[in-house]
Amino acid sequence: MKKSFIFVGFSLAVVTAFIGIGAATVSAQTTLTDEQRTRVKSNCMVIKNTLNQLKASDALLRVNRGPVYDSIATKLMDSFNSRLTSNRFDAQGLLSISSGYDEALETFRTDYQTYERALAAAIRIDCTKDPDSFHAAIETARSKRKIVHEDILRLHQYIDDYRSEVEAFKGNFERVSGKN
Amino acid sequence: MDDLPQMNSKREGSELVGFWAEHRFFILVFATIVISLVLVVISLVIYNVSGAAQLDLSRPGYQSVSNQVEREDSSDQFSPSGSVTNESINEFIKLYDDQARKTKSVDAFNGDPLNPELLEFSDETSE
Repeated sequence: MKKSFIFVGFSLAVVTAFIGIGAATVSAQTTLTDEQRTRVKSNCMVIKNTLNQLKASDALLRVNRGPVYDSIATKLMDSFNSRLTSNRFDAQGLLSISSGYDEALETFRTDYQTYERALAAAIRIDCTKDPDSFHAAIETARSKRKIVHEDILRLHQYIDDYRSEVEAFKGNFERVSGKN
Repeated sequence: MDDLPQMNSKREGSELVGFWAEHRFFILVFATIVISLVLVVISLVIYNVSGAAQLDLSRPGYQSVSNQVEREDSSDQFSPSGSVTNESINEFIKLYDDQARKTKSVDAFNGDPLNPELLEFSDETSE
């Protein structure tokens, strides 16, 4: 009993130490030097203009790419799944992938909203008065944007997985129909 | 003597009815304004929470890109009904490959434009 308490205590200490090191690293990354602070203040308007341009171009990207990702699910995946199911074929693998794709698409939509809000929050900060908060807000928006890009890569992976599963289905179908 | 409280309450009641009757037009206008304000607040909350705001390029600041929206969906639909044959599977694969190529042709949100070294601290920014 005593040994298990010591073990649990030691594990907690190790975990806490790792969290502490991680937090210190993050804190170190978000702290500006005096020179950087001065540079942010003097370039404030230029940075804000760049951020506004990025916000507009990313919004356009979201508006144009969203329907493309939607249509591959609604016009192709769902239709093919329905066709197979109505003909009493086993489409469990395809259904599972398209369901994962739908979830990934929903995650992409939510993550984009979070990113857009983070970027808008950064733009609202007065970088001439509070460069540290401005820098921290940009770092937050940057990490959110990376998540959005990861969502896109996940969607592409699902598209490839579905294609491979269709190929596997086709192979099985040809084998079975060839026998009959 | 016992009727006096009843008479007083009746009088107060009629005064109250008189107040509502007298100001009913203003009350109607006021209530209409309050209800419309509540509905506007609810619709704005839905507009923001639902994510519609992020897709609305008619907002200020987005005019420069609003004319670049692709309004036509050129992708073809695979019919969900019909039999499953080699031809129908091949037809689907052709449609799917076309659409997958279009979808994956853009690596959206790649790069690191918010990198502080490029955005905030670089010499190019200060020029």
